[in-house]
Amino acid sequence: MALLEIDKLSAFYGKAQALHEVSLSVGAGSIIAVVGANGAGKSTLLDSIMGLTKTTGAVRFDGAEITGCKTKEIVSRGIGYGPERFNLFPFMTVRDNLLVGAYTARDDIGKNLAAIHKLFPRLAERETQETSTQSGGERQMVSLGRALMSSPRLLLVDEPTIGLAPKVCLEIADVLRRLRDEFSLTVVITEQNANFALSLAERVHVLETGRLVAEGRPEDLANDERLAAAYFGH
Amino acid sequence: MLQVLIQGLLLSGLYALIAVGFTLIFSIGRVLNLAYGAYLLIGGYAYFYFTQAIGLPKFAAVLLAAVIGCALGILKFLLIVRPLRGNHVAIEISTLILAVVLQSAVVLAFGDSSKILLPIIPGVERVAGAAVPYSNLFAAVMSWVILIALWIFIRSTHTGRAMQAVSMDAKGAAISGIDADRVNMITWAISGTLGAVAGVFFASYTQLYPGMWVAPLIIAVAVVIVGGIGSIIGTLIVAHIIGFMEVLVSTYLAPELRGIFTMVLIIAILVLRPRGLFGREEL
Ligand SMILES: Nc1ncnc2c1ncn2[C@@H]1O[C@H](COP(=O)(O)OP(=O)(O)OP(=O)(O)O)[C@@H](O)[C@H]1O
Ligand SMILES: [Mg+2]
Repeated sequence: MALLEIDKLSAFYGKAQALHEVSLSVGAGSIIAVVGANGAGKSTLLDSIMGLTKTTGAVRFDGAEITGCKTKEIVSRGIGYGPERFNLFPFMTVRDNLLVGAYTARDDIGKNLAAIHKLFPRLAERETQETSTQSGGERQMVSLGRALMSSPRLLLVDEPTIGLAPKVCLEIADVLRRLRDEFSLTVVITEQNANFALSLAERVHVLETGRLVAEGRPEDLANDERLAAAYFGH
Repeated sequence: MLQVLIQGLLLSGLYALIAVGFTLIFSIGRVLNLAYGAYLLIGGYAYFYFTQAIGLPKFAAVLLAAVIGCALGILKFLLIVRPLRGNHVAIEISTLILAVVLQSAVVLAFGDSSKILLPIIPGVERVAGAAVPYSNLFAAVMSWVILIALWIFIRSTHTGRAMQAVSMDAKGAAISGIDADRVNMITWAISGTLGAVAGVFFASYTQLYPGMWVAPLIIAVAVVIVGGIGSIIGTLIVAHIIGFMEVLVSTYLAPELRGIFTMVLIIAILVLRPRGLFGREEL
């Protein structure tokens, strides 16, 4: 069954249209990736699912329409978001950043904190550090942790590997797999790093200037010219 | 010397209370609430009315003044700030106009002569040659109690952390499930409450008159400018700098110069350190 269904979703910044009738569906318990070059509309797609942009079309989560809902409502229904630039609270400690993430899930704080510290032991060591002084990799961990604090069933992560060293990328990939396998989360990532996406996701969607131009299983897409075209032009 | 120390401490505590309600709004909404002084005006007059005109107990009168300040804060948010969302200049101009309108309303209701508030707690203690009215001591102690309570609230409750979150990263707050409008309204409510209570103390320090919203506003603006974007700790420190300097100036130079010092300080900091002494965006 599809946990997330996107139906002809278009997004607008003023008069400029950044997404053109994007439709895709995400099965429960899977990891899917949306790949595309700079400016393809990856962040816009995730922002739109969270209700942060002006859109037309429909988004359904767990069978219920969430189009037009307030972001707060979407978060409490069970969608967590790790955005591209993290949007952490720079002068708060790691712990307080995580606690803000629990705003809509206050009963699960103990359980979620324990799980996050198990996934990212580093965050347990750095509980009292302000995130403004953290490295990019650590911030990514706090960002994912904050999203997990809301007890989501669906996790959206915008470019999880951006700016990270290969070793940290592997760690992040491992965490995302564990979230699917151990916590039965459904995960949607966006990527410019097509290899990372192909190695992690069960299905990959190719986004080019706001339109989905191809989709498929990684093994089918790996040599697909449309994937290359999305990056290098025709 | 001891006299300066005591008076400095008492005045600074009050200044911190006056400034903190203004700083809260500035750090969360990034908007200068130029009607902030009007909370003090209304708070002071409400207290005067309830105690000296109606004869309610003082404690009840402070509470009622606080409730009125709270309501005023919420109304201002709903009727002016939210509709004008994002247009800071428009918000600032309308709040300034609102302050002037409220001043006229006070003149209409109470006349424009100044009024003396009966002390909240009568009596004077002499400490090292300084006369310390119990009222002022009470005002300073209450200011500290309120500030500490506010600090704990902001640090350790979900709502308080949400206020910090909105002030530091609006998108981050939104995707954490925080409704910024709600947090803003709570902040305006707290600010109005603090302003009205500060007004009761401020009026008992000086006197009650329709123009009494200007001086506290200048103090509050000075604290924000000197301290940088408002942290509560920064507010405390700067309130003490200003409070002590005023006491020093009026003791050793001339009492007439005390307000001038604050204004000169504002301009000097604006020119020398536009981001304030502790310019970081924190609550
Ligand atoms: N706030 C905004 N206002 C106006 N236009 C925007 C805004 N955000 C994005 N856009 C435009 O929308 C299009 C898609 O941008 P988006 O950030 O979604 O791309 P992306 O795939 O995430 O790119 P990147 O890989 O660089 O992060 C771009 O043309 C961009 O210029
Ligand atoms: Mg992006």
